Amino acid sequence: MIEITDLRKIYRMGNVEVRALDGVSLDITKGEFLGIMGPSGSGKTTLLHMLGLLDEPTSGKIIIDGIDIGKLTDYEKTMFRLYKLGYVFQDYALVPDLTVMENVSLPGMLRLDLNEEQYRTASTDILTKIGLLDRQDHLPRELSGGQQQRVSLARAMVNKPDILFADEPCANLDTENSRIVLDLFREINESMHQTIVMVSHEDWHRDYFHRTIHLRDGKVISDGTNRTGSP
Amino acid sequence: MGKKELKVAFLLALRSLQRGSRSSVILTVLIIGMCFTNMIFLPSLFNGIEQSITKQLVDYEVGNVLVSPKSGDQYVTDLSAMLSLINGMPGVERATPHYTEGATFTYRKRVLGVSVRAIMPDDEKYVSPLYTKMIAGSYLGESDTGEIIIGKPVAGDPTIREEDEFQPSLGGVRVGDSVTVAYANGYTRDYRVKGIYSTGWSQADSAAYVSWTDMQQVLGGQPLDKAHDITVKAKPGYSETFVKNELIQYGVADKVQTTGDLLSKVLGTAFQSFAIINLVSLIVSIIITTVVLFIVITIKTLNSRKQIGILKAIGVDKQVIMHNYGFQVIILAILGIILGIVITLLLALYMSAHPVVTPGWSATLYLTPVDLLMNSLILFVAAIVAGYVPAYQVSREDIQTAMRA
Repeated sequence: MIEITDLRKIYRMGNVEVRALDGVSLDITKGEFLGIMGPSGSGKTTLLHMLGLLDEPTSGKIIIDGIDIGKLTDYEKTMFRLYKLGYVFQDYALVPDLTVMENVSLPGMLRLDLNEEQYRTASTDILTKIGLLDRQDHLPRELSGGQQQRVSLARAMVNKPDILFADEPCANLDTENSRIVLDLFREINESMHQTIVMVSHEDWHRDYFHRTIHLRDGKVISDGTNRTGSP
Repeated sequence: MGKKELKVAFLLALRSLQRGSRSSVILTVLIIGMCFTNMIFLPSLFNGIEQSITKQLVDYEVGNVLVSPKSGDQYVTDLSAMLSLINGMPGVERATPHYTEGATFTYRKRVLGVSVRAIMPDDEKYVSPLYTKMIAGSYLGESDTGEIIIGKPVAGDPTIREEDEFQPSLGGVRVGDSVTVAYANGYTRDYRVKGIYSTGWSQADSAAYVSWTDMQQVLGGQPLDKAHDITVKAKPGYSETFVKNELIQYGVADKVQTTGDLLSKVLGTAFQSFAIINLVSLIVSIIITTVVLFIVITIKTLNSRKQIGILKAIGVDKQVIMHNYGFQVIILAILGIILGIVITLLLALYMSAHPVVTPGWSATLYLTPVDLLMNSLILFVAAIVAGYVPAYQVSREDIQTAMRA
């Protein structure tokens, strides 16, 4: 589903060259729940941003579903993100002035292939699934951190994307809320055969992943499969 | 940019204004409203002054067209024939002559120099609303002799001491009182004050009027077949220029001028100055509005850079983000303009009840729907430019830079 070949990202800070990614090659198959782990500054988020079309590599190639994303125009990338990808951010990143329902419906509203009834039904379904339908008219600031992250997950999932990217989605949550969110990820992965790529630095999260890669200094230092994929 | 994207941009804009900082919205709308008021107030007041001066000139001095002696002559002569000719022309409502003599008025111990204008009272009614401006007594009759009507400033106020008066007066003449009038030609007679008027036009109010018949007696009893000028009133639907051209075509050899001709000569420079002040006021208001909206939207976009990055990350196109801020500006501008129109109309209402009064003229705000529309459009366009520039800049920022903000 995702083929990454010799991916490099070099930042220049004055005369200093920082290799955030240094020749990463990787394949991710459909339905896989992949964890990207590693210490701070190892390149986890940079890799996620490259895969999610949020940043451009210095060199290398990323092919998603047979499409070389390096060749897409700015507008095509935007549409690719809208139709094919979903994102969950560390700090939830909800629009503060929109209600829960409006936040979740936002990606659906922009899709040309969905009418109002369709995206409303999809939003209601996903809010029911995450148990927040009764909070649909609330603003993000009226929800707890765990609830906001669930709304963020619902927004990412409403368009039924091919790939879901999550950048340390439990970083701001306590263990109990982290477990609720991770259980949701696993449920989505299992019930919808959803490909998920998640960045994490918590060792116990590894139990949720089918496969975990470790990065250090911008290089993959290990790539291992978790047999159980369960906590 | 499709309908769906515009709908989302509008929703984002609306929600941001509804659920964002209310004080910021109120202040911005207030500033736009005030700028609109500033843009339109001064020009409307100047227009009001222009309209007032023009109307008073038409009403009390020149009518629509003024026939005055040609260069080198003192009078319009052969008056009867001239009046017959003019009154018979198409487009002429009525022509009426004026003859003015300088005189000295004496009342009790007060002495005052006043211009006495002889008019044909019945014809004058067609040309001037003087007969409707009587505040005491009554207007002149066609054959009145020994009777005079005087302006309120000439009559004076008995409660004001002479040294406290703004302009000299007769110190409190009342209807029925007798004033002694000594004309410049040496003729002196006592007049009964038949009426006192107040027009608001200083030149008319500082004068006195007698009938044409009376003036004939003053000038020796001979028929008075000459005038200092003839004022001509055009029929409704006929332009001043049309009447002027008719008069010239019909062979009127005296000087023929429309109100417009006279205004451009007498007040042209003043009106040009008004126009310059209006332009300066307009430009300053537009600059203030543009700068304020630019700052408001720039601050909004800077505070929302991370959110803009997130929106782009989840697949919201930069056009939607740009139009989101564009719509916010449009909504703020519309609310500001509506507020400005309300404030302006309230000011206009207030000023129609309390006009700006000077000894020379009185004026209210002169507003037309076209003025309101034009100023609204100018402010609206300025607001859109001010809002879209920062919105365009921020919408083009790359996702990483925006998200790191």
